[in-house]
Amino acid sequence: MIQVEALTKLYGEFVAVNELGFEVKPGEVLGLVGPNGAGKTTTLRCLSGIIPPTRGSIHICGHDLGQDPIAAKRELAFFSDEPRLFDYLTVEQHLAFVARIYQVKDYEPAADRLLEELEIAGKRNALPGELSRGMKQKLAIACGLLHAPRVIYFDEPLTGLDPIGIRRMKDSILKRARDGAATIISSHLLHLVEEICSHILILKDGRKIAHGTLAEITQQFAAQAGETNLEEVFFRATSEAGKDSH
Amino acid sequence: MRIKRLKQPKYLAGGIVGGLYFYWYFFRTFFGTPTRGRGVTLVASPQNLALFESLGALILLTILLVAWIIPHQRAALTFTEAEVAFLFPAPISRRGLIHFKLLRSQMAILFTTLLLTLVTNRFGGNAWIHAAGWWLIFSTLNLHFLGSSFARTMLLDRGITNWQRRLGILALVFLTAGVVIVWARQSMPAFEPSRFQNPDAIKEYAQQVLTAGPVPYLLYPLRLVVRPFLAPNPLAFLYALGPALLLLLAHYWWVVRSNVSFEEASVEASRNLAEKVAAVRTGNWQGARKPPKRKRAPFKLRPVGPPAVALLWKNLISAGHAFSLRMWISLAVFAVCGSVAMGHASGGSGLRPALGMIAAMLMAWSLLLGTQLLRQDFRQDLPMADILKSYPLRSWQLALGELLAPATALTGIQWFLLILVVGFLWQPAAAKIGWQSWVGLGFGAALVIPMLDLITLQIPNAAALLFPAWFQAAKGGGAGIEVTGQRLIFLIGQMLVFIVVLIPAAALFAGVFFLVKMLLGTATAIPLASIAAAIVLAVEAALGVMLLGWLFERYDVSAETAG
Repeated sequence: MIQVEALTKLYGEFVAVNELGFEVKPGEVLGLVGPNGAGKTTTLRCLSGIIPPTRGSIHICGHDLGQDPIAAKRELAFFSDEPRLFDYLTVEQHLAFVARIYQVKDYEPAADRLLEELEIAGKRNALPGELSRGMKQKLAIACGLLHAPRVIYFDEPLTGLDPIGIRRMKDSILKRARDGAATIISSHLLHLVEEICSHILILKDGRKIAHGTLAEITQQFAAQAGETNLEEVFFRATSEAGKDSH
Repeated sequence: MRIKRLKQPKYLAGGIVGGLYFYWYFFRTFFGTPTRGRGVTLVASPQNLALFESLGALILLTILLVAWIIPHQRAALTFTEAEVAFLFPAPISRRGLIHFKLLRSQMAILFTTLLLTLVTNRFGGNAWIHAAGWWLIFSTLNLHFLGSSFARTMLLDRGITNWQRRLGILALVFLTAGVVIVWARQSMPAFEPSRFQNPDAIKEYAQQVLTAGPVPYLLYPLRLVVRPFLAPNPLAFLYALGPALLLLLAHYWWVVRSNVSFEEASVEASRNLAEKVAAVRTGNWQGARKPPKRKRAPFKLRPVGPPAVALLWKNLISAGHAFSLRMWISLAVFAVCGSVAMGHASGGSGLRPALGMIAAMLMAWSLLLGTQLLRQDFRQDLPMADILKSYPLRSWQLALGELLAPATALTGIQWFLLILVVGFLWQPAAAKIGWQSWVGLGFGAALVIPMLDLITLQIPNAAALLFPAWFQAAKGGGAGIEVTGQRLIFLIGQMLVFIVVLIPAAALFAGVFFLVKMLLGTATAIPLASIAAAIVLAVEAALGVMLLGWLFERYDVSAETAG
């Protein structure tokens, strides 16, 4: 569903992402982790067509994002860490707008279901300025899921959510994965990644230093047999990568 | 960041042009280069000094009245969140906080003084006297605004509502105006509009009202503030300085002695300021404005159809209630009925043609400058460029969608003005060229207007994509010498492009017009030539949309926000 080959993004001399390659199949949830400045957000923005890669290829549901961006973008949804909404559109107007952009015929029942699921049905006529941060995030999610994307990217999806919202968000991600969506989650919350991701990709300085299931990565970096803590594995992997680069 | 940005040639060009403009227009006179033929001067002759003083005092009075009437919040000194966090809990007295605030506001006052001195120095007078005069005026105003905010808060604390205060002040103003009117009726010749046929007569009457009777006494304190600025020489300045400084000190005493609580409101104001600054720093200039109000959609947006219409719909909502179909139909009906009614009512007077000319001028003005006022396009949505790029739309569809809302609004305004022009100038035009030709001209103009609007809008949108640092949402945006230079470049560029774009259309119009005129007459030639010109403009507009889409595709969100 998501195929990335030799993805590279340069800003002048600075290498933000370096020859990154991976694949995410339907139903898989890939956790994208790495220290600050590793290139996670840059990677997600390249994968969603927001910024053009310098080199490499990205295929979304079989469509080349560079050659056929329209078909590729129809299949995906990107949720950034900060909800990006138009200040002057109400909740209902946001959904109508997105429905037209993505040509979602008969969108009203799907919109109603999403608003109920995300518990913002009572805020249809509210402007983003009248919503709490968590509700804004839910609105952004409703807009992104309206066209039933088969590829979903989350950048720090739990920021600003209360405990109930966190539980609901995790359930929502897992539900979409069970329905066949290929999902990438970028997060610093390693316990979240451990809990809901089927695969993990560790980035550092724009390079992939580990990729696979938690068991595979643990086997690769664990200091001793039986260690399964992603946090320890992450620290070891990123520090070993630092030593290798020097 | 602005200095770093100047390393890029595209921004440096704006800086150079802006610098040259500022030197040529403002700084030359400082270095002794005389400016030619000053038509207007701010140097008051001895005969006019009293009049200038009273006029200046009247302007100040208006500003002060607005400060007393309009605001409704409690007194708040605006501090940054860091200042609130450090200074409020610190062992600093309220007076100390006020002193800190007053000293900090001097930075803005000194900068404004410098700027205005550069401007007013072009019109004659001594630069240092002007500078000192401006400083006195702004410092006094600053203290008065603060003092008035404390006084308003004190009135609120005593149970006097904002509306009661406003009514009280307005009653005082009307009473004072009534006194002046009564005096003028008793002491001056009868007020007859026929006497004021030329500016000198108006000036003489104003001089009599403002320099005799009760007005100079009523305005006396404010005249003291203005007098140093208008001093013709250093000696007169020193003579005027004393009373102005005393008034300044009196204001200072009033502010520091006011026993009003401002801390709570200041904390709230600092929080709002921090939110605005944070919004601006992340490129979200929309967040820096006042929160928007809920607006009705201009039409029902169906879920299926050309996606560019979604952007039109969205941006019309942003533009406000003004742009609904019902409003436009009402305007059109009003324009038609108004023209017809005016035609019957005004008889042979020159009022209708004058209104027609005004409407024509407004139409021409809106073509060139209307694009600066209606900005519900890329200039508004650039902070959301990453979201737009994630949509499954081709870049030309995005470009077209973004242009449609301001183009629609501008076209609506111009068609309304066109109806007025055609209606009000019907008689003289029909007498000269025949009513069929006049209607044909109106029809032709209506055809080409939408294309012209689409084309003129492409220029500032292209500039926003090429120079995003200077084009940030809606009003405001960047500031500084380099931004002034950039705006000059684009104003000139916009006019040049406008002329170049018109050439092929005008050439085809002329060709078709003369050909058809020979065969079928003028009345038929005008509409047909207009259709030909509109087709050319439509092709040019389409090419422009493709170019704009290409520019948006090249726009690298992360590179621009990092810069």
